[in-house]
Amino acid sequence: MKFIEFKDPSAQKLYRNYIKQAEKATKVLSTEDQEDILMEMNSHIYEAVQKDENRSSEIEILVNIIDQLGVPEETLKPLIADKKMDQATQTFNPIHIAKALILNITNGVAYIIFALLYLSLLLGVFLIGAKVMHPQEVGLFFESGSLLVLGIPNLEYHPEAVELLGNWFIPVIALVTVLLYFLITFLLKLKNHFKNENQFNF
Amino acid sequence: MKLNKHPMNEIFLNKWKSQVKKGTLTFIVLNILKDQEFYGYELIEEVKNHTEITIAEGTLYPLMNRLKKEDLVTSKWVEQSSGIPRKYYCLTETGLETLIQMRGYWKKLEKSIKKIS
Repeated sequence: MKFIEFKDPSAQKLYRNYIKQAEKATKVLSTEDQEDILMEMNSHIYEAVQKDENRSSEIEILVNIIDQLGVPEETLKPLIADKKMDQATQTFNPIHIAKALILNITNGVAYIIFALLYLSLLLGVFLIGAKVMHPQEVGLFFESGSLLVLGIPNLEYHPEAVELLGNWFIPVIALVTVLLYFLITFLLKLKNHFKNENQFNF
Repeated sequence: MKLNKHPMNEIFLNKWKSQVKKGTLTFIVLNILKDQEFYGYELIEEVKNHTEITIAEGTLYPLMNRLKKEDLVTSKWVEQSSGIPRKYYCLTETGLETLIQMRGYWKKLEKSIKKIS
């Protein structure tokens, strides 16, 4: 990205600091998205400087523009949250999803519910771990033909309980967890698609 | 009829105006982009000149991003002699079709409001 050149060193410093703040705020995004946002912001500043009709000093013009733009962390927040969510739901990458949910958590109860759904998947991981440690006590238990529990029953009270999955327990739970992960992410993608525009400010 | 200048009334009115602006912003932007492509800064100026609505930068750019996602607008970077390119936005075919439908709905709404006011 080509930087704007100001004659006044104070204006130059103020501008570079502002861009640095914007770079920091957009670090969470992919390089491509980050560059796109920074270039558009740079272009916005450049055009605003060119079109200033008051013929004030460079520093005055720049202070006005930056004041209008606002602090990058705040002004770019909706755009970053949107772009991060796009990246997360396109890549299905859990790290991007976690970051996208954190960025969007203040944008509605739905995102809190999604965060809880993802956290509930940890139960699957816990069950697999527990099965490795206590193979006899963990599983999918049935008693008298009906489901007793998926997890760890108290076998003292249920001597008749029969575990159904045996060695298949770990692969089945792993598969179900992965499938649920994809299903929740797909729902998140849908939710993101139908997001309304209530966050716009006037 | 005398206007009630009660402060509560003013708060209500301002909230309502803000809701109307929020609801029509997409319609306004698509209308402006109908005949000409614009870059972000210019688009804010155009909206201000035509409607006296000042859109914050923090509102316009996320909106454009969403309109792009909905395939209503596209954008392209255009190199400038200054070395600082501009990102121009223009309507897609879907955007134009959507705008025509929005205009139809707007006219219907306008007509029915006129009848009752």
